[in-house]
Amino acid sequence: MTLPTKPLPPAVQGSADGSSAPGVPFSEIETVRAKEFIPPAKEALRDVLARKGTDSLIQPVFNWAGRNSLFPLHWGLACCAIEFAAAFGARWDAERFGIVPRSSPRQCDLMIVNGTVTWKVAHKLITLYEQMPEPKWVIAMGNCATGGGPFRSAYSVVPGVDKLVPVDVYIAGCPPRPEAMLDGILRLEHLIQERRE
Amino acid sequence: MVTALPPNTLAETPDLLAVLRERFPQDVLETTRRPGLLGRVVLRPEAILPVCRYLRDEQTFAHCAMVGGVDWKETREVVYHLWSDERKGYLELSLRVPAEDPHVESVAGLWPGANWHEREAWDLLGIRFDHHPDLRRLFLPEGYEFHPLLKTFELHEPEPLEVKTRHE
Repeated sequence: MTLPTKPLPPAVQGSADGSSAPGVPFSEIETVRAKEFIPPAKEALRDVLARKGTDSLIQPVFNWAGRNSLFPLHWGLACCAIEFAAAFGARWDAERFGIVPRSSPRQCDLMIVNGTVTWKVAHKLITLYEQMPEPKWVIAMGNCATGGGPFRSAYSVVPGVDKLVPVDVYIAGCPPRPEAMLDGILRLEHLIQERRE
Repeated sequence: MVTALPPNTLAETPDLLAVLRERFPQDVLETTRRPGLLGRVVLRPEAILPVCRYLRDEQTFAHCAMVGGVDWKETREVVYHLWSDERKGYLELSLRVPAEDPHVESVAGLWPGANWHEREAWDLLGIRFDHHPDLRRLFLPEGYEFHPLLKTFELHEPEPLEVKTRHE
């Protein structure tokens, strides 16, 4: 079975003997295609602007761009970090949602707190959160980050990470499966889409 | 088929506990044989440093495997487990300090590995180790007001602590 394919423009099809085909070079083909795309896009944009006004359009555009490229901070505290890592593996492949873990908090807009937070590490968590640029969101992943989990009344454990930073989405589970984590991120994307400054 | 283990000559002869009793007659209060150990020795708290130095330098106990503590309400016990590669066994040292002012000389100068063990005992049980190079809390943040493994510590519904970041 062959998939239906769009025939390529004749300029990029080489001749049968492998010699370079005459005509338009490949790079100019791309330019031509982009140029073909621009007028209808401009027309559509002008149409939308005329109907809704500039201000009401810009925020949704930023929301749309932001929610489709969430960069979580690449760090792990406990066993939830294993599920976090598994979500970026081949089976669940979180990068298809545009979620790319970054190693520096200055490149991130999402902090996924995956594990038990102790009072000893609390000030480091706050420092990392403060280093992230605005706008930023926090997901409490798992029971420990949500409310302390089985260690809630322990002397060394923060009873829920919302005592330290504002949390947008809570994910239950001990640990949550990668599907649950992805579901939490998709719910956060809905929140971001409805955001109004 | 069960093969007999070679006799552990160093552990048996000369008897380590008898040697210790003879060498430190004032400081060794009690010696007991324990299964799994070369023996258990109860010491006067003031004698911990000379006894440990003797055990390390002349009785092949080159490794301090553990320093821990026990809260007995009136007193606090400090327990040391020393390992000897030649004897293939642990020796347990124990001493009791009063709960009003629990402090004992640090052995971190003899075994550097005892440093964090003593910090843990200070953190969780409030036993001070004199002349310790860096006696800070190990597991809990600085400024925490309890020593939570004490019997007097009561579990409570958690209240948020004040957290300070480094630049504050």
